[in-house]
Amino acid sequence: MPSASEPVTTLAARRPAVMAGRAARGVLLLLLVVAVLSFPSLAPNPYILSAGILVLNYALLSTSWNFVGGFTGYISLGHGALAGLGAYGTALLVTKAGVPSFVALVVAALAVAALAVPIGYAALRVRGASFVIVSIALVLVLLLVFQSWASFTGGSRGLTVPRPFPDLLRPEHHRVFWFLFAGLLALALLVWWVIDRSRFGLGLKAIREDEDKAESLGIPTFAYKLVVFVVSAGFTGAAGGLYALWFGDLDPVFQFSILTGSYLVLMALLGGVRSLFGPLLGALVVGTALEYFKVEYGSTPLHLVATGLLLAVVVLFMPDGVLPAVSAAIDRFRPAQQSIREVTAAELREQREGAETELAGAGPAASSTKERA
Amino acid sequence: MTSGALIFQSVILGLLLGGLYALLASGLTLYFGIMRVVMIAHSAFLILAAYLAWWSQTRLGVDPLLSLVVTVPLFFAAGVLLQRGLLARLRPATLTMMSVLLTFAIAVIIEGLLGYAFTGTQRRVQLGYGTANIELFGARIAVVKLIAFGLAVAALLTLYLLLKRTTFGWALRATIQHPDAARLVGIDTNRVAGYGFGLGLATAAVGGTALALDTTIYPSLHWHWIGPLMAIIVVGGLGSVPGAAAAAMVLGLTQSLLQIPLNTTWAQTIFYLALFATLAFRPQGFFGGRLAQRF
Repeated sequence: MPSASEPVTTLAARRPAVMAGRAARGVLLLLLVVAVLSFPSLAPNPYILSAGILVLNYALLSTSWNFVGGFTGYISLGHGALAGLGAYGTALLVTKAGVPSFVALVVAALAVAALAVPIGYAALRVRGASFVIVSIALVLVLLLVFQSWASFTGGSRGLTVPRPFPDLLRPEHHRVFWFLFAGLLALALLVWWVIDRSRFGLGLKAIREDEDKAESLGIPTFAYKLVVFVVSAGFTGAAGGLYALWFGDLDPVFQFSILTGSYLVLMALLGGVRSLFGPLLGALVVGTALEYFKVEYGSTPLHLVATGLLLAVVVLFMPDGVLPAVSAAIDRFRPAQQSIREVTAAELREQREGAETELAGAGPAASSTKERA
Repeated sequence: MTSGALIFQSVILGLLLGGLYALLASGLTLYFGIMRVVMIAHSAFLILAAYLAWWSQTRLGVDPLLSLVVTVPLFFAAGVLLQRGLLARLRPATLTMMSVLLTFAIAVIIEGLLGYAFTGTQRRVQLGYGTANIELFGARIAVVKLIAFGLAVAALLTLYLLLKRTTFGWALRATIQHPDAARLVGIDTNRVAGYGFGLGLATAAVGGTALALDTTIYPSLHWHWIGPLMAIIVVGGLGSVPGAAAAAMVLGLTQSLLQIPLNTTWAQTIFYLALFATLAFRPQGFFGGRLAQRF
């Protein structure tokens, strides 16, 4: 049948383009890996390296946030608090219970994930508004508790965490933690990628697009949301714990700051919540800008204004992120794609006519082909 | 130690505080009812109004209460502009989430500008009658707290009458209950929604002035208010004004009574406990209407 071979030839014609795209993506990924691996040796001084670690930490937190924000569309402003819990959990396990640093990190991350179950239960049973309210309330209540319960948490005086590698010099210490952060980020990206391609991820994205329809199609929406929230909380807690071990000094005001949570949202939104590397890119831009302005201008109230303005602009004009907005702008200059079909209407008509002339010759036995055409 | 007079005093103070909470929560409820928007910037506008009251008193020598003449219309206009110019532009499909981010951004901008204009120093209105007290059955109540409560009650009463007795109130309630049906009977829901937002922000203006009378203010104070207020509207059932008012009175009273055995900070956690408990066991709230079921 000539009609059947036609779509195959169009696909074959497209294959080189697909292959080229894939190769380009592979090269980019390779470049990214090389850049990450070589950054510690290229950094001119330990300050740049430590600033790089902060950006990497933001990238990790923002990617962890994107498990909930990207897949389900539920926006949490409280992920800063989950990171703070991971940090304080790790620090308290090390200082009060004498647990080895990295065991403490894993235990704290698991504890944050476990704590996310009741929080998620309260926050996710109903729709978006309650989730946002709970996420903000979480930050505020934890700030209250950790500031007031000074006998246990050190209160506003802060909490000092002993270094996991006491005999390393500071630059070496930074270098080790750079790779630890990069490793955890790679793991988070891998898990995000796996979920993105799974049936589970499809269900989550269905929730994002239309929760009622997803539910009526038999997706256990509440369970899906809860599971992905727990995964997200686990990664966020681990990131916080790693930060505690690296930075070595915790203060409730910075650990349970609603501003941290909003930075994560801003980074993810800026980079694009629907793409794997979106939050990473956003963290690179926003995190670097944050560090730069802190060095240049110190901490002024105008930081808040700039953050607020940037967030407002992103929300109003490019809620899908800068990357999708830019690629849409580029697409505008390309020859317009007529249709999302791979076969044009004219080709379809030819096919149908071909099938019908064949049908006329073949008789009633071929009626099933007609239905398919 | 805990004498009857102390408890009585706490009850009075709790009720006075509850009145202010009720006024502010009613504003939040209005926004939620009209557009399903959780307005994070509500308490930032509250602090802005408090700063304007403080500024008019220290710089212009005007009594803070007189600043209401300017702030209420100003905030009403700001509310209309906010709804028509910004929130209505967001995509309906993601409105709830994006509006939270947008209003969060506005709150942060206001906080930053207040910090820039007035520095982070704690400010307090100094009034001639600021230290006056009234003795009532052994309880000492500050006059400014009574004035603040009076303001809140007057504003709530005005809001109630406006919603129940005027044509605009009918239109607004119709818009909240069923926007499509409201449009079908000829209500310009867009305009009504804008005015509704204006009303909500006007409550923040009144509340801010009342707050400035007896509280020390600083730019980041609004975070201490938005948490309790959000807890109140959830406990009251999102979207129900009487529910929010009832929850505000109950929680204000509880907070005030808890301050006797605990300190001020721990007593504040009651709001968050109530919030989590409500969402875990009764997500539609305790005083809620039908609106709350699905949010």
